Amino acid sequence: MTDPILEVRGLHKSYDEGRIEALRGVDLSIQAGEFLAISGHSGSGKSTLLHLLGGLDTPTSGSVLFQGKQLGSAINLDAYRCHHVGFVFQAFYLLPTLCAVENVQAPMLAAGKSHGNRRQRAESLLCEVGLEHRTCQRPNQLSAGERQRVAIARALANDPAILLADEPTGNLDSTNSARIMEILTGIQKARGMTLIVITHEEEIANSAPRHIRIHDGRIVP
Amino acid sequence: MAIGAFVGLVGFSQAFEHEWLRIYSSSGIDIAVIQQTFLNTNIDESAADKVRALPSVAKATPMIYNVMDLTPDVNALVYGWKADSFEFQSLRILSGRPFHDGHPEVMLGELLASNLNKQVGDTLTLEGASFSVVGIYHGGSALEAGAVIMPLDQLQQLSSLQGKVSTIHVQLRPAPAGISSDAYLKRAEEQIEAALPGLRAVPAVERASNNQLVRLAHASAWGTSSIALLIGILGIANTMAMSVFERTREIGILRALGWKHWQVLLLIQMEAVVLGLGGGILGILVGWSALHLLSALPETASIVSASFPFELIFEALGIAVLAGLIAGALPAWRGASLSPVEALRHD
Repeated sequence: MTDPILEVRGLHKSYDEGRIEALRGVDLSIQAGEFLAISGHSGSGKSTLLHLLGGLDTPTSGSVLFQGKQLGSAINLDAYRCHHVGFVFQAFYLLPTLCAVENVQAPMLAAGKSHGNRRQRAESLLCEVGLEHRTCQRPNQLSAGERQRVAIARALANDPAILLADEPTGNLDSTNSARIMEILTGIQKARGMTLIVITHEEEIANSAPRHIRIHDGRIVP
Repeated sequence: MAIGAFVGLVGFSQAFEHEWLRIYSSSGIDIAVIQQTFLNTNIDESAADKVRALPSVAKATPMIYNVMDLTPDVNALVYGWKADSFEFQSLRILSGRPFHDGHPEVMLGELLASNLNKQVGDTLTLEGASFSVVGIYHGGSALEAGAVIMPLDQLQQLSSLQGKVSTIHVQLRPAPAGISSDAYLKRAEEQIEAALPGLRAVPAVERASNNQLVRLAHASAWGTSSIALLIGILGIANTMAMSVFERTREIGILRALGWKHWQVLLLIQMEAVVLGLGGGILGILVGWSALHLLSALPETASIVSASFPFELIFEALGIAVLAGLIAGALPAWRGASLSPVEALRHD
């Protein structure tokens, strides 16, 4: 067995000066190229876990290791988010004043890619998610499914090793949900990426080769 | 508006200084002999004879500056000159003739004559005394164009300053071969000051930029502009703080996408600079328009020139950029320091 791409050790996260414990000692190991679903009820701590895995937040105690290096100390969180992970959120979080192709270029700006390369790659990624004819549309001119596809293209902009999706189908109808999951799993297989999907939908969770459940901040069997 | 105030006020004060310089250069004045302050009239007129006797001096003429109310709405610079003053070389008589010493006569600049609706043969009342307008002239600067020139003895009498003058203007002989003009000027200053203890000999260029009126104009312009700029900076800071607050989620998105702290900082600062620059360009137009308007108004035309120092545009743009950077600094820092998760949760 190869070394895990992500490893979580004794992860605790509390809020409000310790009065709220979102995670209560999570240990987890995720292999490169793995498709992992994390499910749980609302407030179970699954989104908090995703935020910590993605370097959006820092743990109260415990550690997250990426390729054996601790996030926040051995690896700068900004650089980690820029180069190694891509996010897909339930609320899409597209920049409203930018068109689709500009939204996809936003992470590449952070990585310092040249304008020509950015544009070409953004168009190629939009083509990959089936939006080659919607590149110049702003988010408010796109359907919910299309917005999520733009978000997926954006998450792939800097060719990350890990794709983190937080309830990616939460705001979509069943047809669009199926399409989005099809795109995500297709990308994961084609690129050999690590895909971690947070969901409360059992059908999606069960479709993943590995499925873990979180309850009250702990992983349960 | 702050940049408009800066351009209008500083532009005015610089143009004012420029006009003084034009008076000195067009009259061929090399040195001004003064006591301490600009409008001080404590120099004995006889000191001019001592200056004339110096080997490097070609001509020396005593004179008085004053500012007088001509009508309740119009005031003007009033010069007292000798009829044989070399400073007449900067004037072109448009109608009439030069005045004669010892006679109650005045000459009016063309702008002032137009504003007062006076012609040769009319009477001008100064401090209750009547003077005949004997000539209308075109001056070398806007200040002269809006001035009254009268016999020195008449102005001394009018001001109860018999035998006293403000300044002695000096024209030097050409510098001998082998001596630089600067060294020659310096030597002449030393000779004059040695001959007239207690008085100062000041080069004309320095005199134009460093007299009390110009310094007062500069100080007023910069003082008022600074207050306006401070208000402008607070305005931009408020706009930027609101902008950052309203776009907290967008900042969170950028941070989630890997934008570094300094990149978000730079983005917000650039926006503040663009805001400052936009206001600056608008302010330059407003200030430029105000200067042109003031130079056309009868009440202010004699002291405001429409000439617009080109470098003032770059100064104004530089200040606008600086104001944007200062005003945007705190909002940018706060925005860039937001936690990505907290920013994403922001409604």
